[in-house]
Amino acid sequence: MKKSIALFALAIPLVFTSCFKDEPLNTECDIEQVILHSTAADKVFFNPSDTIQEVLFTDSVVSVNVRSGAPLETVTPEFKLTPGATLKCIEGDIALGKATYMVTSEDGNWNRRYVVSLIPTAVTVNDTLAFDLEHFELDPTYHKFYIWHNLLADGSLGNDWATGNGGFKLSMSTAQPDDYPTVPIVGMDGYAVKLTTRDTGPFGVMVNKRIASGNMFLGSFDVANALKDAMKATRFGIPFDKKPTKLTGYYKYKRGATYQDINGKPVSGKTDNGDIYAVFYRNHDAAGNPVTLYGDDVKTNPNIVAMASVTPIQVTDEWTYFDVVFNYSKELDPAVLESRGYSLTIVFSSSIDGAIFQGAVGSELCVDKVRLICTREE
Amino acid sequence: MKRLSIFILSIIMVATAVSAESFLKDVKQFLKPWRVDVHLGYEIGGTAPLGMPASIRKLNKFSLTPNLLLGLDAHRQLSGRWGIMTGIHFENKGMSIDATVKNYNMEITRGGQTLGGRFTGRVTTDVTAWMFTLPVQATFDVSDKVQLKLGPYVSYLTNRNFSGYAYDGYLRVGDPTGEKVELGNQAGERGDYDFSSHVRRCQWGIALGADWHITKRFGAFADLNWGLSGLHKSDFKTVEQTLYPIYGAIGLSYRLR
Repeated sequence: MKKSIALFALAIPLVFTSCFKDEPLNTECDIEQVILHSTAADKVFFNPSDTIQEVLFTDSVVSVNVRSGAPLETVTPEFKLTPGATLKCIEGDIALGKATYMVTSEDGNWNRRYVVSLIPTAVTVNDTLAFDLEHFELDPTYHKFYIWHNLLADGSLGNDWATGNGGFKLSMSTAQPDDYPTVPIVGMDGYAVKLTTRDTGPFGVMVNKRIASGNMFLGSFDVANALKDAMKATRFGIPFDKKPTKLTGYYKYKRGATYQDINGKPVSGKTDNGDIYAVFYRNHDAAGNPVTLYGDDVKTNPNIVAMASVTPIQVTDEWTYFDVVFNYSKELDPAVLESRGYSLTIVFSSSIDGAIFQGAVGSELCVDKVRLICTREE
Repeated sequence: MKRLSIFILSIIMVATAVSAESFLKDVKQFLKPWRVDVHLGYEIGGTAPLGMPASIRKLNKFSLTPNLLLGLDAHRQLSGRWGIMTGIHFENKGMSIDATVKNYNMEITRGGQTLGGRFTGRVTTDVTAWMFTLPVQATFDVSDKVQLKLGPYVSYLTNRNFSGYAYDGYLRVGDPTGEKVELGNQAGERGDYDFSSHVRRCQWGIALGADWHITKRFGAFADLNWGLSGLHKSDFKTVEQTLYPIYGAIGLSYRLR
């Protein structure tokens, strides 16, 4: 009997450990990185680091700016895929500037389609760049929230505007497109953008990110980091080859009723503020490594060379003109500027402390007709 | 009027006294062949799918929880070596596990909002299920001291918890091509879930075991309680596999009569 009790006690853990099955094949099918090899890399790319392109998991379009007249036929791509996945070119040829790839998961059941383009980029000609915020659509995957495009010099649409809408979707799966923090509205003429600080509901409480300020910026939003390291989700800046001197545009601002701290507790005597600013920074460090500004250093990174800020944002329900200059803290290097070694971001936010999940639900910033004025470098 | 009611009341009282006396006698007569034991034990086991799905890769930790069993069982010899046993048990079939999963289907629902998809990483699950159990078992005497038993049981849960969190991994929202969301291991970075309200109140299964009567009063026992009803209500689909409580119990018994 003793023996049978002992055997019995032994058998219980066996029930749980003996029956693990073989590891299932992977189901993911992403391009994580595109590495562009070229025998004439300095004629093709602006910076050596341009040859390694990190691809966000939400992206299915990879656009790489290359020098105009670049010998694209020298370019051979290499792809870093999720483990086990395979890739096939189904259309075009990267040596001609554009190719479509199909990535299939290891288990063969899932696939994703990617378009990789090498875009010959001419020097920015115009001294004034207009951001009229007219081009938007519902996100192509879920049709749940709005995304914006910028109008490029050749009339095509770019993907330089980013918002945190993709992060809000994680917390509010039932929200309609107009319930998101960043939405289009009818503007002065055409459309404008409306940013609203929203309550993120029970999920927001779970992850202690109780509000989502409405935001819009030049850069990209990495949903992968939205929960674990929210500051790293906002990646500010796009390479820019002119010296910005002024930022102008129109805004309206309304404060939400109650300013709350990160724990959702009202802070008496404190009021919310909107935020409109632009940052120009060197996008490589001394060793040539790429530098990106994130939520936690967009205003403090030592690579910043100039900032322009609309302070304070007045509470107003009329379209109000703003016109602010870039204050330079460092000299620009013309050679670095020419090779797109500086990046620019323009940021709008309905709550100035929204990055640390503090602000007032209901704060509302509308922005329209933004202009960036640059000087020609002699 | 008053006198009449006193009279009726007296008749009822006398009748009750007489019938109570005979009822007690009947009960004593009925109970006479029954032996009664108290059982005190500890349960170890798990609430697990039958056949581990391939998405569960590794069991990192299995912690003991206060799975106490307190039982009062009555046994009656019927014919020869055969008998019948029944009783009432109060017990907890709990567990606390930490597992590594790959491409594991999961969903977090809070206040009508849902976030779900395929999770790869680690999942911690805590199960608590305090319950009253009524077993009915056939017994067979192997020897003077050892008795085997087998039969069904039904349980009613008085306290239920099925909760935990997914951490140190990532979720692909919706399906493997959806957004990738990294989860950390601190509160605020991980995905908490609580499916307690989806746990069935009534459970049933088959119990098999042995009693060993060491002395006249003291004994030891070992049981295996194999749940045949899933832990969750059948309309609950978030945990893809049906989980069955399968617990073994060992302990001591004391004969009351």
